[in-house]
Amino acid sequence: MRQIKKIKVVIAGPFAAGKTQFINTVSEIKTVKTERRTQQSSEKSVKDYTTVAMDFGKVRIDDEHELYLFGTPGQFRFDFMWEILGEGALGIVILVDSTDPTTFHEARKIINFFQSRFPVPIVVGANKQDMPNAWSPEDVRIALDIDEEEGIPVIPVSAIDKESVKNALLTLFEIIRTNLTG
Amino acid sequence: MALTGDLRSFNFVDIFQVIGKDRKSGILFMEWKDLTCAYYVKEGEIIFARPIDKVYRVYADKDFDLLLSKLRMSAEGLSKTLERFLISRLNMKEGIFSFTPGFIKYGGEYPVVYPIEELIVLASRNLTPEEVERKISDELLLFERVPGKEEVLQKAKLNQMEWHILSLIDGERTVLQIRQMVNQDSLLADRALYALLALGLIRRKKKEVKQKQAPITLELLAKIIERIRSL
Repeated sequence: MRQIKKIKVVIAGPFAAGKTQFINTVSEIKTVKTERRTQQSSEKSVKDYTTVAMDFGKVRIDDEHELYLFGTPGQFRFDFMWEILGEGALGIVILVDSTDPTTFHEARKIINFFQSRFPVPIVVGANKQDMPNAWSPEDVRIALDIDEEEGIPVIPVSAIDKESVKNALLTLFEIIRTNLTG
Repeated sequence: MALTGDLRSFNFVDIFQVIGKDRKSGILFMEWKDLTCAYYVKEGEIIFARPIDKVYRVYADKDFDLLLSKLRMSAEGLSKTLERFLISRLNMKEGIFSFTPGFIKYGGEYPVVYPIEELIVLASRNLTPEEVERKISDELLLFERVPGKEEVLQKAKLNQMEWHILSLIDGERTVLQIRQMVNQDSLLADRALYALLALGLIRRKKKEVKQKQAPITLELLAKIIERIRSL
């Protein structure tokens, strides 16, 4: 039997940024989740379940290749998983909840974490753009201190919208293509 | 679209940075425990502060010049309102903010006694260890100077120690080394770095992005892109 080669992309971001939803929206399989009930009161007020190890979705590319989307847990206490999941990734999408500026600093720390360990392209998705109180991607970029020369685009995302998720992935793969050809 | 948030998670330096970066105009509302204030922002500069009892009252005065004449406020008096209702409150850590862009109609030129760059520096001097840790999160971080920022530097009015820290940034020294060279409370160094970053005078040194070993061919990449498009 021919072995399927795996192409890995990591979907990271702070707690409740929409990572699981992002994967759900494009995955061809039912997303494999490792969720547990939220324990801390600050987290319980946001959602009932949270990812504790990883989420996993995939898209078949051809007979030999599959694109694997790995979602990381958002909380820093699970950062050992980020290291594991980042290994061998082709690129990283970092989602930010544009409606919740309290998480922007967390997001910046996550960018720092992946930037310093995995020199692969990163795209920041300013998620929840469908919500009325969402910060614009440009304001999110400023709040995250992403310098234009840092080479990290901040793009609008609505993780419930397939076209939007596709656009985020396409942006990432176009950067990978530019790096390969450049 | 209004920008809203809480001072506990988004401090004054961050707010001023967002306002100043795009030279926004509009009104910044701050809801403190004891007071609600409207700060009038023209092209990235906060020019006037006004305590209000109800937020909706601010929306009744769309013409800034008319408002000033109604309040019998001279152009010279504008900076006094900032001293009283903004600068004296930069050490406060609890409050809700929202910034509504546009809306207010400004007439001519107004004096800018406290440029946004100076406000960023003043606010940074009140940051707590927890606040600075959000951006100066790693001792191994490297920063480099951003060229062509003389005007920002002039407006920022750095003190001697902040100048010294700026002079130590060369793209080679880590945060840890800079803290050691400053030889003072590391919080002072971190506050300065936070401010310099917010001012755009320094930036994180860009790491070279490269694939470890071409793990993917261009042909496969083209297939992936095509496949995603077709989803």
